[in-house]
Amino acid sequence: MGLLDTEFGKRRLLTVEVPAVEAYNRGRDPGFGITLNRVGGALVLSYQLKPCHNVYRLETRLLSSYPTVPPETRVLTPLKHCAHLLEGQTMCLWRQGSTRAASRWDPAQFTCVFAVQAAWRWLACYEVWHETGEWPLPEAK
Amino acid sequence: MDFRPLNEVERRQLVTALRGNADRGLSLLMDRQTTYTGTAEEVPDEEVIAAIKSVPCHY
Repeated sequence: MGLLDTEFGKRRLLTVEVPAVEAYNRGRDPGFGITLNRVGGALVLSYQLKPCHNVYRLETRLLSSYPTVPPETRVLTPLKHCAHLLEGQTMCLWRQGSTRAASRWDPAQFTCVFAVQAAWRWLACYEVWHETGEWPLPEAK
Repeated sequence: MDFRPLNEVERRQLVTALRGNADRGLSLLMDRQTTYTGTAEEVPDEEVIAAIKSVPCHY
């Protein structure tokens, strides 16, 4: 059952996610806005981020169990492998595989745009790590 | 990808900003191309969507 196949999912998209994406895109330069596409049962956000001097292409996937299950964000631009990058260049953002109680993702508070912002911060950390070998933020407990 | 690194000053400023964001919720501001432009203690409500507030991620 996909996000677009339930009344709850549709309502969430129309009242929460789409307005958040529209607000994010407002005034954004061409190529840096978020585009939404349906891929199977998932909704995929495609976008670019340029936290410093480099442009990265990304994809954030809202699975059918979203927002209970956090979105998954993958960097499409090839990266140097680091400890904070999971298989398929998926960013380690929300303790993937953890229980709902232990996850730092809060479906009541966050939208898919929050995941985009989290990806931005991850990439900013990556740019520092790329040159120094040190991740600038401490490991979450 | 042809990686263009940060210079020393840029890197130091970014690290300070990232730690301020993680430790005390300092907002990170970005421009129309999502490039970092600075920090702010307070962000007007209508601009919150464009700023990186405290993002509770697992790294």
